[in-house]
Amino acid sequence: MVDAPAVLVIGGGSTGCGIARDLAMRGFDVTLVEKGNLTNGTTGRMHGLLHSGGRYAVSDQASAKECIKENRVLRDIASHCVEMTEGLFIQRPEDSDAYFQEKLQGCRECDIPATVLSAEETKAKEPAVAGDIERSIAVPDGAIDPFRLCVANALSAQRHGARIETHAEVTDVLVEDDTVVGCVVRHDTGPGKRTHRTPGTTEEIRADYVVNATGAWAGQIGDLAGVDIEVRPSKGAMVIMNVRQVDTVINRCRPKGDADIIVPHETTAILGTTDEEVDDPEEYPEEQWEVDLMIEELSELVPILRESRTIRSFWGVRPLYEPPGTGTTDPTDITRDFFLLDHKERDGLAGMTSIVGGKFTTYRMMAERITDHVCEQFGIRADCRTADEPLPGSEDFEVLRDHMEAFGLRSPIGRRSTQRLGSRAEKVLTTDGPNPVLCECEAVTRAEIQDAIDQSGTDLNAVRIRTRASMGNCQGGLCCHRMANELHPEHEEPTVRTALDELYQERWKGQRHALWGEQLSQAMLNHVLHGTTMNRDHDPARQETLDFDAFDTGTDRTRDSNGD
Amino acid sequence: MAISEDVVIVGGGLAGAISALSAAKAGVSVRLISHKESTLRHASGLIDVLGYPTEDDPPVVNPFDALDALPDSHPYSVVGEAEIREGLALFDEITGDLYAGDHTDRNALVPTQQGTVKPTARYPRSMATGIGNDRAMLLVGFESLPDFDAPLAADHLEAVGVPFASRGVTVRFPADLRADAKLTRFATALEREETTTALAETIEHHIDDAERVGFPALLGRDDCGSVRSTLESHLGIPVFELPGGPPSLPGLRLADRLFEALDSAGVHLSTGVPVVGHETEGDRISSVLVDRGSHTPQPYHASEFVLATGGLVGKGIDSDRNGVHEPIFDCHVPHPEDRYEWFLGEAFGDHPFARFGVVPDGKLRPVDTQGNLEYENLRAAGSVLGGANIAAEKSGSGISLATGALAGRLAAEAI
Amino acid sequence: MSNDQNTDRDRLSNERTSEVATAEATVPPSDERTTDLRPGADNCYKCTACDTSCPVAAVDDEFPGPKFQGPEQWRLKRSEDTDIDESIMSCSNCMRCDSACPSGVPLSQMHNTARGEYVEGMSKLSREYVRNRILANYGRLARIGSRVPRLTNFVMGNRVTKWLNERLLGITSEREFPAFATQTFREWYDDRGGSKIESEDRRVAYFHGDYSNFNTPEVAKALVRVFESFGYEVAVPEQRCSGTPMFANGMLEDARRAAKFNVETFSELVDEGYDIICSCTSCSMALRQEYPELFDFEDTEQVATHTYEAIEYLRLHEDLDEAIGETELEDESALAYHAPCHARNQGLHRQALELFRELDGVTIEDVGDSCSGISGTYGWKEEKYDYSMEIGEEMFDHMRDADGTTGLTECPTCAMQMEHGTGYEIDHPLELIEKAVV
Repeated sequence: MVDAPAVLVIGGGSTGCGIARDLAMRGFDVTLVEKGNLTNGTTGRMHGLLHSGGRYAVSDQASAKECIKENRVLRDIASHCVEMTEGLFIQRPEDSDAYFQEKLQGCRECDIPATVLSAEETKAKEPAVAGDIERSIAVPDGAIDPFRLCVANALSAQRHGARIETHAEVTDVLVEDDTVVGCVVRHDTGPGKRTHRTPGTTEEIRADYVVNATGAWAGQIGDLAGVDIEVRPSKGAMVIMNVRQVDTVINRCRPKGDADIIVPHETTAILGTTDEEVDDPEEYPEEQWEVDLMIEELSELVPILRESRTIRSFWGVRPLYEPPGTGTTDPTDITRDFFLLDHKERDGLAGMTSIVGGKFTTYRMMAERITDHVCEQFGIRADCRTADEPLPGSEDFEVLRDHMEAFGLRSPIGRRSTQRLGSRAEKVLTTDGPNPVLCECEAVTRAEIQDAIDQSGTDLNAVRIRTRASMGNCQGGLCCHRMANELHPEHEEPTVRTALDELYQERWKGQRHALWGEQLSQAMLNHVLHGTTMNRDHDPARQETLDFDAFDTGTDRTRDSNGD
Repeated sequence: MAISEDVVIVGGGLAGAISALSAAKAGVSVRLISHKESTLRHASGLIDVLGYPTEDDPPVVNPFDALDALPDSHPYSVVGEAEIREGLALFDEITGDLYAGDHTDRNALVPTQQGTVKPTARYPRSMATGIGNDRAMLLVGFESLPDFDAPLAADHLEAVGVPFASRGVTVRFPADLRADAKLTRFATALEREETTTALAETIEHHIDDAERVGFPALLGRDDCGSVRSTLESHLGIPVFELPGGPPSLPGLRLADRLFEALDSAGVHLSTGVPVVGHETEGDRISSVLVDRGSHTPQPYHASEFVLATGGLVGKGIDSDRNGVHEPIFDCHVPHPEDRYEWFLGEAFGDHPFARFGVVPDGKLRPVDTQGNLEYENLRAAGSVLGGANIAAEKSGSGISLATGALAGRLAAEAI
Repeated sequence: MSNDQNTDRDRLSNERTSEVATAEATVPPSDERTTDLRPGADNCYKCTACDTSCPVAAVDDEFPGPKFQGPEQWRLKRSEDTDIDESIMSCSNCMRCDSACPSGVPLSQMHNTARGEYVEGMSKLSREYVRNRILANYGRLARIGSRVPRLTNFVMGNRVTKWLNERLLGITSEREFPAFATQTFREWYDDRGGSKIESEDRRVAYFHGDYSNFNTPEVAKALVRVFESFGYEVAVPEQRCSGTPMFANGMLEDARRAAKFNVETFSELVDEGYDIICSCTSCSMALRQEYPELFDFEDTEQVATHTYEAIEYLRLHEDLDEAIGETELEDESALAYHAPCHARNQGLHRQALELFRELDGVTIEDVGDSCSGISGTYGWKEEKYDYSMEIGEEMFDHMRDADGTTGLTECPTCAMQMEHGTGYEIDHPLELIEKAVV
């Protein structure tokens, strides 16, 4: 297409990346801008559940049906991001029989395969569940890595010609004659891959159409464009356990409530969650009681949680939306459905549509819907292929099967690397030089780190979300500096230092919510390693020049003659 | 039959070992009970006394001049300058030619594997050539040791403004080791002369104008002297090690030296078993209970006890969601009730948790919330003491030496 | 090795083509699940004290160290993952990582369990499996061999046999097979009519293990005489191998059978008021630590709680130190003492030194805290022999530097290694105590 319409997608979460992919596959000239890393917003702060729809089977059957449909699609197109763990809705003695039956019935109505397991069968499947449970319903829940999924969508979009700009914040929406014609974007360190210590630039990106896929931040983009989008952000707390206590998604089978789900996610288990409306998607309190609540409540389902190590907690904000006038007060009652807000129809502002609400599991369907909508604007007829074409990494299963013999890696390093890289494993892991493990907790090798650096420049947090390096129990204490070392010599020392500091601070941030017991000991060990041994806290490179001659210069000196 | 000694030391790290040696020197019978390997295995092997008494100032040249800047609750303020010197003297006596730095009160600025320099009072002799003066430095790293990037560290040293040129090179280790070989494997391999010679040949042509060569601290597991001298005789210039870790071979070598000293001082050692409780008679501890396997814990009797179990890392101080405690004697450990006041928002800085520990009286006896003695015959030494942020101050080893030497001596004097 | 290939393929094809297995609710019965040791990884904070303490990782980089094979490997496990890296077979089971870890990670339990899983997937016809099975079940062979001790000793010492062992089985020809005694300890015990003492309240049940029965009955006899001299009735019940060599070779089923027998036999005696004593520190370790970690027979804990190393028992219950202090030995060689690795985890590695430093006429010297390098069956494997000797080098050096030419240790295989490396005669501390107090 010579004159492909230019579409600017704002937001690098799952929806934005999915939209960019779909648009690019249908021939549009796509640019995606994201103010932080990919997954910077809600996508990077979810519990990693691939819904079967079971959770909505009673309260919101429309969503439930969409979930099971997309669940099946994602297993196909994103197999390297998905682990089919299965899920259980567990009934405790104090939970109602009636609701259990409703749940089972609801699943069946929504075409969600559901089987009732006795207490004994449940315990045989998940030995860690409490001894006094009544029974459970098994459903095809799964775990999904949102980082990997987003990156794969972005990669696919790029392969179809899209331009992906991270660390590019929209500072203004350009409106001419009641039509949105583009945005002004501030690149943190210039366009392209991020390089620390490179000065920022401003760019005007003109587009024939703009898609606002910023979720909980949609109102802020709306403000820049002069339209009112009333997203109702709702925060949820999640607690990350150091190991998987369970290998199945564990749900509490009761109508609604906080702290009712455990998702075995990669090497960890994630406890969730709360649901509390907040004013600002970025500024909201992260509180101790929320962490304690997760542990206390969920240990009723899995008792070992009470004594287990948590390594981190994080909060995400759901981009909830309900049409004006609905008037729901409790955020848990707000629909999980998504809405296309065509600002031309709604506000008389042409050239832009916002997409709000919705869930991670149905991101692809949302992307398809909005891409259809964009196609309509331009009278383009092109079929959506995102449900059929596997994402990069999920194309070829042969590689996964052969992973054990390949690449000279020991098990389980080879296994984990291949689970993360999928069909890209061979390309990434075939190296000439030695390929030591840099992140021991998550079994990430140098080759994988180098591959991620190739994609994302000096941004070690972007390397982290691609590889999981520094996301294990030491929370980067033993590997942040190894990751940073890999940036040299391509990047200069001060740049490397800044990149390291940024990652180390980010790792600290979430870890603070886990500071007791083993993780407090870990924090002290990290503090001693990076402070005492490396002296990074008083790094003299940051300070004024030292008077070296005033210090002990040794006894076996040759030219100077200091000393007492 | 009861196992009984004059003094029992609980904890086998630097503070415990120095306590035991200090008490044994005073002529009493001493038993040291240590559960696991000491945290020296992951410490750099440097003996810091005090580098940064305050958060924002440059490093102090002379730690003894800076003691006044410390708060009254700091262990150094409790024991005083003379005891710090005592502790160092005992350390110098024990370590002999393994360590250097005792010729001056001034701190040395030792280059680290990170490429920073760090103020320290004593350093392994193997690191001595790395400090000071204006001789050009070549740093050598190995492809499969990702902790140390020699060219990056060299550039970092330049950024620090060291008064010498530094350059780094990364080479393949001459013995064909796997990419995940442990540090001890490198060190053991270098104890074979042919490997050391091959290493010298590998880096010979990188020397250029360098006047000294630095390696990560892996030049031999035990015998770093001979590895260094082999390298030096081939290369014709001095060779030194850079501190890093974990793992840390200099820390390991120091632990070995302390063990030898304890052995020859006749200190009884019970290692590999935990102290899980204690028995009292009035205000005094009569025994500590040692768990040997899955038995009923056995009492180890003594007249005086020293608690040297370490801080949060060594598990001498433990915590849960509700609070911080000292697990053996349940000594008072002050800490904010709100868990979210245990730390700061930034990764570095003066975290309250870094100062967690027991509170000593002037004779290092832990006191309770009211300031009363927990036990008449219990003293504490090392990181189990609160009041110091050893990571930020660079004061950990000095505190262990000063309080260890004093606690051991006072315990012996009380017999 | 790729034990998990099939499972992986099945899982993948499930993901692609069918609804997940929920509908069939295929759940393995709980007793087929292996112990989930992932929670043990919670204690690890990566200090790597275990790695620096590992004697094998220092000489053999095929072994990636206890941290990798322990908490890291377990943390990365999902329920369906069964593949274990073959390097687990390079662990010698010295258990020094256990005594190194400052944070209570159950390292050796993780290694033992992983090794068991790995061996499960091994070809039962492979040379390595057959060899390991033979080494692990030394006691069975000994039972046969010791019936005709002189003939067996001749055959096993024969160069042709050694050559065949190395070629066919991968058992090193560098080592001399330990000779079988002409009379086993149990034969001696029966011949003398059992315990010479009968007592209601001072009674111990002796777990002698195979080696002191078949090869070094003098140690076992010394134990009986020493305990009798303190007024103890010494029972010697039927027993099987402690299981130590089986754990080390991943033969967990063999170990389970042996352990079950031992627990049943000895728990009955515990009920009758007996405490259990061992002369070998690996045996006491097995009964105390490994049985409870790996098995859950009805009385496993009871047996563990009542098990002691023999000298430890005397020091706790009698005034052994004083008894030793009151005597004097003449013409004793200076002793070079090596503490077995397995003594360390029980707090026993300085016991003999403390004790004999009180004994007039005896000088005793610690030959360092390194591993002897043989670790039971490890040093017998042809491919491990050189590593075994390299690990042992530090101990050999210290022994050569020591004054005397007699070695002392509690562990029979450490004794083999000490003798093999230096040619010294090696005694057991119980023999010395016998000389001093009986």
